[in-house]
Amino acid sequence: MGISDVIPVPVAIDEEIEKWTIFGQPVAEVWFTTTEKIHQIIEMGPIKNIFNWGRKNSVYFLMQPMGCCGVEMFVFGAAPYDSDRFGCIPRNTPRQTDVMIISGYLTRKYLPVFKNLWDEMPEPKWCIAIGECAISGGPFYDSYNIVQNTGDHFPIDVFIPGCPPRPEQFLEGLMNLQEKIKQRKDKRDY
Amino acid sequence: MTNASEVLSSIQSAFPGAVLDSRVESDRRLWATIDSKKILDVCKHLTTKLNFDHYSGSAGVDWIARKEMEVVEIMASHGAHQVVAMLKVKTPRENPSVKSLTGLYWNANWYEREIWEMFGINFEGHPELYPLLLSDELMGAWPWRKDYKGYPDLTTGERAVKISTPEGYTEYHIPPTPAEVEAGTVVTVRLKYPTLREREEKEIKSDSEMIMHLGPQHAMVPGPFLLDVLVEGERVHKAFLDLGYIHKGIEKIMENRSWLQGITYTDRMCYVASLSNNECYCGAIEKILGLEVPLRAQYIRVILEELSRIQSHLIGTGEFLTLIAGVGYAPWQYMIIDRENIISLIESVTGARLTHTFVRFGGVRNDLPAGFADQCKKVLPYMKSRTEEFIELFAQDPIYHKRMDGVGIIRPDDAKRMGVSGPPLRAAGVAYDMRKEDPILVYPELDFKVVTGTKGDSADRIDVRLREMLESIHIIEQCLDRIPEGPIKTEVKVPKKVPAGEAYYRVEDPRGEMGMYVISDGGDKPYRVKVRGPFYATFQTLTPLLEGTYIADAVAIAGSMDGCPSEADR
Repeated sequence: MGISDVIPVPVAIDEEIEKWTIFGQPVAEVWFTTTEKIHQIIEMGPIKNIFNWGRKNSVYFLMQPMGCCGVEMFVFGAAPYDSDRFGCIPRNTPRQTDVMIISGYLTRKYLPVFKNLWDEMPEPKWCIAIGECAISGGPFYDSYNIVQNTGDHFPIDVFIPGCPPRPEQFLEGLMNLQEKIKQRKDKRDY
Repeated sequence: MTNASEVLSSIQSAFPGAVLDSRVESDRRLWATIDSKKILDVCKHLTTKLNFDHYSGSAGVDWIARKEMEVVEIMASHGAHQVVAMLKVKTPRENPSVKSLTGLYWNANWYEREIWEMFGINFEGHPELYPLLLSDELMGAWPWRKDYKGYPDLTTGERAVKISTPEGYTEYHIPPTPAEVEAGTVVTVRLKYPTLREREEKEIKSDSEMIMHLGPQHAMVPGPFLLDVLVEGERVHKAFLDLGYIHKGIEKIMENRSWLQGITYTDRMCYVASLSNNECYCGAIEKILGLEVPLRAQYIRVILEELSRIQSHLIGTGEFLTLIAGVGYAPWQYMIIDRENIISLIESVTGARLTHTFVRFGGVRNDLPAGFADQCKKVLPYMKSRTEEFIELFAQDPIYHKRMDGVGIIRPDDAKRMGVSGPPLRAAGVAYDMRKEDPILVYPELDFKVVTGTKGDSADRIDVRLREMLESIHIIEQCLDRIPEGPIKTEVKVPKKVPAGEAYYRVEDPRGEMGMYVISDGGDKPYRVKVRGPFYATFQTLTPLLEGTYIADAVAIAGSMDGCPSEADR
């Protein structure tokens, strides 16, 4: 399908345009194309960067306290540390969130529930592990009920060490995630 | 006033031969081994004749060398006297079984379920022996027994299998590896008991009833727990509680750590009020060691524990206000901003915001920093004016009162019967406070009053918490005036190995009565640490409290209890 099929232009121009390329593809294919093609173009070009700029500035996180770090997460989301400044707003339901914060010990009983929460979150989504327990089991490394390897279950982009980390560290980890999204180096490759 | 030896002689005269072994530690502690056939009669005698109306909990102990198991029933009184009776019942390690106390004490239910799932001790006559804390795949492994060789398998992540059930639920199963089966960390033969979902669905009587899940994930509770309600329209017919979503097995882990390392675990038990957990653990071990705490250290402990109480009550009140939603999100922000002042005061002494590990056996870790008193004198008057403002705000707001008055009433008799302690009990009008009842540190010398409510509803519980904050500020001000100079640690060298013995120590946590039962066998590690958490008991009352209420009130009632599921799960 050429341009002249849609817009009445001289055939010569049509032939000329077919020689042009954009991002290595014939421009005619790019102009009149399917949704799939549009996605391909977004993947290739700087449009993705614009998308990711928007995504990085609105990383809403799931308020999901499950340990000592959860209490620090309260404070991180509230007025004194004010995560809203970075476009990081606490949400109460997984259906409105972009970032899952694993804020504490993940137990055998909670793992299935937690996986469901992760599945309920719409794409694109990212995951942050906060505190020693979420990273490696922490002080509970030899407990019979703690899942140590959270990285096997969730694509974790940022690990924030500490027991529990201070809210400032939360902010730093969040900014690291934003940088990762901007540079397109996140685990799920958005 | 009754004392321990009088209680012992009363039991001995009423039931000759029932007491197999006994030890009167002090006027306030009685240790007795009771014949397992007569435990019910002895408990009935204690309750009816000797005012032991507070069933405080029970603990299981596995004596593997003696080939027997022990269940320790902890009995106390609501103010009639200060004796705590620790009644031990022995049972052989092969097919262990003891009599259930659920017929006598309503709140024995959860304690016995926990002992059953952790030790495998059967309770004869228990109405519902279902798992409480453990996930189904661990049931039957009896993880708190001394011969349990459990250790997590690092490959669990790759093994998780996703299964979609015919009803439309998604479930994940982790099949055991041969290594796990060999080590005995997983069970191959499943116990037969109905699951939570089966139990819930059995209760549905008509088509108009349905089950609603509140949790396990909830934005405003500092830990996950599952509250299922069976509703018909707006009415709650029955409530089901499922906990153990953050069960870490702290009591088992502490058996594998040195005495000193155990303090770090008490921090993580209830992270909203970790200093009183520190105090409880260290106090119990000081009791076994017979250590005297220097006066200055005692004052430092009291100051920090009261500061900790203020910040805990602030976060609890803020959570509640967000949960009832009518008042909105702003009060939560105010509470958190005020809490930061207190947190920075505590941080200036302990160096940590939440997990302090500050209290040591026979003292504290470090002295107060220079200028602490001045800083306190700046913050405390401000906190006082803020708290008074909050109290006035709640007292005068007609919308709040229309919403909250008469919601979730606990009558004093019920509160005593259910083992509730702390602000929920005091809101019902029972002046029961460990700081007066079983005084520790310098509390007897300080002037403060026990705050009580009158109605016992949700609004009262919040009011009691706020007024308690004023009392705490008053206590800290007195301490700052009186605190002497001197050493902050005992001069006796604390040994690495604690001599064999046992102790039960109670403190007043922000959530209520917290007790720790510590057993030493003379080694460098605890033989057993049992934590009697305050919220565990309060949590249990939610099920009967929610019956017959509106669904909108369910959250308000649960929120007014100031929940800390981590301390219930441990």
